[in-house]
Amino acid sequence: MSAKLEIRNLVKKFGGLTATNDVSFTIEPGQSVGLIGPNGAGKTTIFSQIMGEHPQTKGEILIDGKEISHLATPQRIHAGVSRTYQVPRPFSEMSVAENIRVGLMPDSIWDMITRGPNREREVEIASAIGLGEDQLERLPSELSMGDLRKLEMARTLATSPRLMLLDEVFAGLTVNEIAVISDLVQSMRDDGMTFLIVSHDLKALEPLVDHAIAINHGEVIAQGQYQDVMGSDIVRASYLGTA
Amino acid sequence: MNLRWHHFALWALFIVGMFALPQFVSNGTLRTMIFANFLAIFAISWDTLSGRTGYISFGHPFLIGIGAYTTAILTHRFDFPVEISIPIAVIATMVGGLIVLLPALRIKGSYFALVTLAMMELVYQLVQVVRPDLTGGTRGMSGLPTLTRGAANGYYMSVSLMLAIALSMWLIMKTRLGTALSAIGMNEEAVSGSGLSVTKLKMTAFLMSAFIAGLGGAVYIHYLGSIAPRALFDINFVFTIIVAALIGGAGTTIGPIAGAFFLTFLLEYLRPWLPGAERYMVYSGLALLIYMYQPKGMWALMTQATFKSKIRP
Repeated sequence: MSAKLEIRNLVKKFGGLTATNDVSFTIEPGQSVGLIGPNGAGKTTIFSQIMGEHPQTKGEILIDGKEISHLATPQRIHAGVSRTYQVPRPFSEMSVAENIRVGLMPDSIWDMITRGPNREREVEIASAIGLGEDQLERLPSELSMGDLRKLEMARTLATSPRLMLLDEVFAGLTVNEIAVISDLVQSMRDDGMTFLIVSHDLKALEPLVDHAIAINHGEVIAQGQYQDVMGSDIVRASYLGTA
Repeated sequence: MNLRWHHFALWALFIVGMFALPQFVSNGTLRTMIFANFLAIFAISWDTLSGRTGYISFGHPFLIGIGAYTTAILTHRFDFPVEISIPIAVIATMVGGLIVLLPALRIKGSYFALVTLAMMELVYQLVQVVRPDLTGGTRGMSGLPTLTRGAANGYYMSVSLMLAIALSMWLIMKTRLGTALSAIGMNEEAVSGSGLSVTKLKMTAFLMSAFIAGLGGAVYIHYLGSIAPRALFDINFVFTIIVAALIGGAGTTIGPIAGAFFLTFLLEYLRPWLPGAERYMVYSGLALLIYMYQPKGMWALMTQATFKSKIRP
């Protein structure tokens, strides 16, 4: 259920811009870690590199000790890592059930044709994530932002990840919706899921993580226990824009 | 599969209706319907790749041409029987098309459309100058073996092929493969982010599309008994295929069939009044109107009118 993530000396350059510079950290199995930093610090770029959407310029990414840098995104997902996006990306003309179905697809084209959808599993995932059975046939355009975030997590969960990367998972949510998503993450933590969570809402993030990694200008400026990182002068300065 | 008994009942009704038609219409109308059947086959082929995955092909005659020329050369120059030359033509279309267009599937949007258009133009030029002793050069080939004689037989052959292809594709698109292909058209990155190999899915869509185009192209020229490069690789032919799929309803199976019949009859009935290329202006205007009012095409309009409900793909 849990996966270990090791990032070693990760460098990503977009032309002359260094988005991440020599980033290294480790997340132990079952740990929940907050990735924090001001806008443009490089948090999402780290996610994109872990998923293989933007391959790193240098450095290594290991899941359970195995290097995954040479793998394409779908293979990394099969290795047990999956992510959500800042802006939910549902399949706009498909129902909630069909959106989850895409995450549950087998790898083989033949199996896609010959084996029907696993309706029970679709309902199970939807219900685990807090989407009611009455919502399964709805289109994403009929869902609230909170439910869209849930759908995003449901599709991610359908790929059976052992490590989930949640990007700005509380953005645009009401207080009630934040509480629902938090409960969801907590219950998955209890089941042993490893998390790396990016959030600007530090109040909502705090109860969900035990460790934090702070980055600024693409470099790790602090990491350790959440309270220690948040109490660090350099982290405070980076948020206030003086670092 | 999300199949209901009434889906099959509607298909049965449609098939019976199509096969009963020769009893009620003239031979002239039947001949028009034969062309509509072939256009429907080509539109389904286009839709399988472009309507579903969003990779717009502007060079579909390239695929149709490989199938058509392969069987034409094999039967005309090497005396192959049609039963052997057509399967070879289909395989040649899939393999040849894949070799040339597989690299193009790595690019997106207008670039993919341009590459496919360039391929069509390239083949058009090549068949005229490379080994004209085989291809017939600019004049093409005539006197090819024909599969049927008479309008009714031609109609039965073309409608059988069209319905077999349509029903097969409808069944395939009702499976999870259909869902995955449609998902690519909506958000390719999210498909990849769901653990699916987008390249494998696009290749499957392309191979299915090429299979239909190759088969349709090969049978078409054995209906005509001749092949002419100028007609086959005509830009108007490309647009007719695309507009038939769009006007009928891209991303559906019935849509391209409805669009193909509508366009073929529209162009045919406009012929006495507008014998030249002006006819295409009329159908372009109509296509634009339908597309502006309902981008999902005529099939969605008909469904809306019948069920008064929102349209789902």
